[in-house]
Amino acid sequence: MTTPRELVEERWRRIKAAVALEKPDRVPVVPLGDAFAARMTGVSVADFCTKPEVAYPTMVDAFTSLGDIDGIQHASYNVNMLSTLWLSRLKIPGRDLPENDLWQVEELELMTPEDYDQIVDQGFGPWRDRYFAERLDNLMDRVGPFVGSLPDAFAAWDAVGIPVVSPVITTIPYEYFCGGRSMRAFVLDLHRMPDKVQAAMDAAQPALEEGARGVIRAFGLKGIWVGGWRAASEFLSPKLWERFVFPYYKRMVDVVVAEGCIPVLHFDSNWTRDLERFRELPKAKCVLSLDGMTDIHRAKELLGDHMCLMGDVPPRMLTIGSPDEVHSYATGLVRDIGPTGFILAQGCDIPPDAKPDNVRAMIAAVH
Amino acid sequence: MASTLSQALGALDEAKVDEEVRGELAAETPALSILGELQEGMRLVGEQYECNEYFLSELILASEIFKNASALLAEGLAKQTDNKLGTMVLGTVKNDIHDFGKDIVHMVLESNGVEVVDLGVNVPYERFVEAVREHSPRMVGLSCLLTTVFDDMRATVDALAQAGLRDQVTILVGGGPVDKKRGRLCGGRPVLRGRSGRGRGSQESTGGELT
Repeated sequence: MTTPRELVEERWRRIKAAVALEKPDRVPVVPLGDAFAARMTGVSVADFCTKPEVAYPTMVDAFTSLGDIDGIQHASYNVNMLSTLWLSRLKIPGRDLPENDLWQVEELELMTPEDYDQIVDQGFGPWRDRYFAERLDNLMDRVGPFVGSLPDAFAAWDAVGIPVVSPVITTIPYEYFCGGRSMRAFVLDLHRMPDKVQAAMDAAQPALEEGARGVIRAFGLKGIWVGGWRAASEFLSPKLWERFVFPYYKRMVDVVVAEGCIPVLHFDSNWTRDLERFRELPKAKCVLSLDGMTDIHRAKELLGDHMCLMGDVPPRMLTIGSPDEVHSYATGLVRDIGPTGFILAQGCDIPPDAKPDNVRAMIAAVH
Repeated sequence: MASTLSQALGALDEAKVDEEVRGELAAETPALSILGELQEGMRLVGEQYECNEYFLSELILASEIFKNASALLAEGLAKQTDNKLGTMVLGTVKNDIHDFGKDIVHMVLESNGVEVVDLGVNVPYERFVEAVREHSPRMVGLSCLLTTVFDDMRATVDALAQAGLRDQVTILVGGGPVDKKRGRLCGGRPVLRGRSGRGRGSQESTGGELT
């Protein structure tokens, strides 16, 4: 009889072999689904996304009933964490939306160009603390209980033998500022006041690196999400991307790797143009997690001998496709992108209205 | 050979565009003529987008420059014949508050001579019906980011059909999760991603005309 602890060790070995570009005994599958878990188990989305004591048991219930998985990307969920990443207000189910609707981020210009100067003058940490308090209605009061619940969430996953691969999210200044300013205003800032934006980014980056280092040590993390959404290549000219995006990711990845932690580059949208640049990241130490928009086959050609790829069953296929369609796509990934240097997963996140049988079909593709 | 103003916009030289527009107005160049030069500039921007010289970041800047320059012409244009190619009613469907993709479509169409009636986000089905009755557009654009609002897209199309307006408009559906299959299930013509497909949906829909 295999104990949960032995299962966790066995599954981590499989995942680590994939990251190290060694051949695992089989391709690991490491999904993520938050509101999906709530809907699937009949839990209120409003409770799921705001109550830490509801979130992780719901995820454990859902993902222990869909087939054998090798890990879960996040241990739990709390909607307020989105505000910490994107410096934005939210529409929250049960408060602003019907109880079982999906939460949404409001695209508002909460940050002003003057904030760039204040970040340089005051330091990113103090500026951010005040921003959370004044513009996001004392955000940390809602985040604190969630962070405090994480050890219990980790224990719950340990108890069922499932590793939590990348339970904390970090990112680069671009993503914070883009969220706070709104995409349109921020892109105009990049053109109209590039030096001011860069000065603020340079002031923020060390604080973000220190934050990542701190959380890796505090929780003993083996992996961490390094998120990329609106920094994707498809949105920016090479000149802007090379100045405001890639150098900051490289620095963050170097910090994470130096801590002995796996950076899971959770990169949504299309990064195909710049895939070759990722060869500058440490070899066999990172995971590039794609959402179906980047050409994963091209990524395999360019990066297959350099970093582990993850993904990329398209979320919409999990919603409107059939189990046969999902299984065929996922087994194709295992064959073509695997068997070395590959972790099977959905692209981005399993959508809330995904069919459970489709998720089962994805998971079954590695077995 | 494109004019200095057109080339300035094509090169995203915001200060030069402003200077040129003010100079032409001072020289009493007809506003409609200046607008034509700006639209030629946007065509140059589009060319550079097509050949991967410009990206979304440059389209946003170009649209902003165009919008500010057009504002200088507002008074002069009001006196002259309407140069619009046609009208589109646009909005993010009910239960979705994401506006970024919709706003990009708005900017690009408007700077290419299409009058856009933007209904905003989380737009009730009946609001689309009212707007189509009021503005008699050739096209209706439905945007979404969430997979959970596909039913609302479908319901919006159904509401237009029940109001007897479905056959009067071409409906374009777009947004991050929309692919060909989903777009057709929603009852509209999907506007697909990719440079080669940029605008193809709207061209097909109108046979190249927006009248």
